[in-house]
Amino acid sequence: MSQDLYREQLLDHYHNPENYGVLDPADVDIEMDNPTCGDMVHVTARLDSAGRVSEVMFEGQGCVVSMAASSMLTEELVGKTPDEVAAMGLAEIQEMMGGIRLSMGRVKCALLSLNAMKQGLKEAGRLG
Amino acid sequence: MPLDVPAIRQQFPIFQRRVNGKRLIYLDSAASSQKPQAVIDAMVRVWSSSYANVHRGLYSLAEEATELYEDARTKFARFINAPDVAEIIHVRNATEGLNLVAYTWGEVNVHAGDRIVITELEHHANLVPWQQLALRKGAELAYIPVTDAGFLDLEALPPLLEDGRTKLVACSVMSNVLGTRPPVIRVAEMAHAAGAVIVMDGAQAAPHQPLDVQALGADFLAFSGHKLCGPGVGVLWGRRELLESMPPFLFGGDMIRTVKQYESKWNEVPYKFEAGTPPVAEVVGLGAAVDFLTDLGMEEIHAHEQQLVRYAMERLSEVPDLKFIGPGPADRGALVSFALKGVHPHDIAAILDEDGICVRAGHHCAQPLHDRFCLPASARASFYIYNDRDDVDALVLALQRVVRLLRRS
Repeated sequence: MSQDLYREQLLDHYHNPENYGVLDPADVDIEMDNPTCGDMVHVTARLDSAGRVSEVMFEGQGCVVSMAASSMLTEELVGKTPDEVAAMGLAEIQEMMGGIRLSMGRVKCALLSLNAMKQGLKEAGRLG
Repeated sequence: MPLDVPAIRQQFPIFQRRVNGKRLIYLDSAASSQKPQAVIDAMVRVWSSSYANVHRGLYSLAEEATELYEDARTKFARFINAPDVAEIIHVRNATEGLNLVAYTWGEVNVHAGDRIVITELEHHANLVPWQQLALRKGAELAYIPVTDAGFLDLEALPPLLEDGRTKLVACSVMSNVLGTRPPVIRVAEMAHAAGAVIVMDGAQAAPHQPLDVQALGADFLAFSGHKLCGPGVGVLWGRRELLESMPPFLFGGDMIRTVKQYESKWNEVPYKFEAGTPPVAEVVGLGAAVDFLTDLGMEEIHAHEQQLVRYAMERLSEVPDLKFIGPGPADRGALVSFALKGVHPHDIAAILDEDGICVRAGHHCAQPLHDRFCLPASARASFYIYNDRDDVDALVLALQRVVRLLRRS
């Protein structure tokens, strides 16, 4: 399992994350941390006129899993409706990360940005 | 005599297994230690041939179980040089022991406007019970600060004691993150001079060095069996006169003398604090663990680990941009917490796991202490009787691989 975690694809996202930064203005703007390991993300996103996610950026610090998942998520979420984002879970994140199976201890890291995005959509009134 | 580490490893069945195809290199004994065959056998023996409930039965099997259970208590008393075996209370772990003191002695003796003093290097187990007691009572909670070098700033203590409001001082005998061994004897003297009681968290110290509650000047001391080769039971020791003055913690069977419909009288110490059927085999197992360590010699264990931690800090200095947290090897117990620049501790632990190396990554149940050092988390390698220089060498090699994999300039 852990061999998978540190393969080149994930390390590339970790070292050179996609969409790293902050959108301003943004429809979704949220920070979330994982106090047990000190990971922190700041996720910003814009929605288009149809209400679909059109742009996502993130910044933050954390382990390879949380940072690579955040980076990949900024691309994965584009085109989705808030309800589609809300329906995503661990299975989709593992799929997005190339079909890896995360150990129990790393699930929280992988889900940090997705959970931030869901909470951000909720706070922005885009989710029921 | 120096420890014969290869012979010791032979006595721990777990070292026969492999992790990810590699030899198991267990560097997380500060979280929980591995178990020797002697301890496993002692528990199996109770369950297979001497098990019954204790303190109740009038048949010989129950008497045998009771005798084994009480023999263990005597071993624990000897292990920490308690003057009276009735001062040994069997608990689940150090956490439960510390909570017992907070909920009994604390509940009766700490009032609004009083002060509780703890230190910045405490594990949550010796922090949250006092924090919550202070909140329940409207008492003040004050901290002895930790210096940048990882020592207690003892100069901060006298001002916290001089107004006579401090009722209790709680201090760890060894920090689970810094490895620091605070001057608890001095802290106890100062606390007593101010009329306060001193509670010592022995969870990290008890497995690694001789402890003598009388020489330490402790009023209470708690430790966990699982960190010293035993199962999941622990010990709370308290001075008899204090224990006798305290109300019970948990109510139920075995802790009572008489029960009537509307009132009850309590059993004598220590039984007053041992409600319900205890984990008989586990207590006996911890007795076997104490025997195992005593046979190796606590002084010898301590000397072995001091050499090992010195070697570890020397070798770990070779890893680029590795920063130690806490004091130098002369002033610390058998653990090393560190941060690797640009690498998250989770990744350190996960990559080391590929090499069969177990280290802890996180805040090690000491969040305020990590805040103090402005670190969200750290990695920690901790050593015990089954660790030797080959484990340290493997750790250094693996950390160099971590750096190659994750650090790009």
